[in-house]
Amino acid sequence: MSVSLFNLPDCLMLSLALVLIGSYGVFRRRSLILVLLSIEVMLNGVNLSLISFNFFRWGTVENSHYLYMLSIGVAAVEAAVGLSMVIVLFKNYNDITRNRISQLGERA
Amino acid sequence: MPVSPVVEITFALSALVILLSSLAVVLVKNPVRATLLLIVAFIPTSLVYILLQAAFVGILQILVYAGAIMMLFTFVIMMINPSPKDGESPAGGSEGGEGGFSGMRGALIGLLVVGALGALLLPKVYHAASQVSVAPVTKPGFGELSSISALLFEDPANNPLTVSFELISFLILVGIIAALNFSRRKGAEARMENSITTRPTEALPILQREALEPK
Repeated sequence: MSVSLFNLPDCLMLSLALVLIGSYGVFRRRSLILVLLSIEVMLNGVNLSLISFNFFRWGTVENSHYLYMLSIGVAAVEAAVGLSMVIVLFKNYNDITRNRISQLGERA
Repeated sequence: MPVSPVVEITFALSALVILLSSLAVVLVKNPVRATLLLIVAFIPTSLVYILLQAAFVGILQILVYAGAIMMLFTFVIMMINPSPKDGESPAGGSEGGEGGFSGMRGALIGLLVVGALGALLLPKVYHAASQVSVAPVTKPGFGELSSISALLFEDPANNPLTVSFELISFLILVGIIAALNFSRRKGAEARMENSITTRPTEALPILQREALEPK
């Protein structure tokens, strides 16, 4: 096979493309849940870059695998807190599109 | 570094599936479909992790990410049941226009910003990553569970990774407390409102109050 894809630059291209796709979603989406989903897409790209750096560049210690576990811990906490905020906003506003939400408390 | 064609083809196909389904996550209108498409994107991601000799990380990706976090998203979406048009504004999107990004103009601005960022970053990152010298994996059992657990828990009294790994549990505890606090505050205020009355008609039972108060 002449063309080789499985190398560090192409893995980083894939992860950077995922981050860009996720950031487009953060720009574009109006529902807060879908903004959180786009952040998950970005996190997925970052995790991919961590693991590919560890494989191609640092084949002696699995430091990035540990960083991956830390990252999914943070992602779980972020999802839990963000989704509970979404639920509170839905209770108060009956709406989760971000254009109409400017504060977390009761509607003034 | 010679790589077998099977690995190449598997990587190319998984990258294609990851990119397409992530794009669909961002573009599709229905929130439930977006969540399920993100789960679809996680499966080839875990395949790529296995190709990168990170089998345990691939397992975690399926178990924790697709199994737990995405199920949390699905539960919340099904609980509050947003209508499909919430995800993407239809053409126009005039309601609440002060938010700025809405309608076709928002799509254009987002595409412009992200495209400019990509055109700026992609060639530079590719060039820089091509310059990086590649060090192949030399550790026996790289990425296996025994190896990772030895990295994390060997000599726990002096290992900084052990302490920081245990500190993740405190982070999750803080998240749980924050989520509980968010869900609790509303109920506490409602109870306060019920117990302290400011107007005499509120002391009456609810049915009588509704009969007395004008609409």
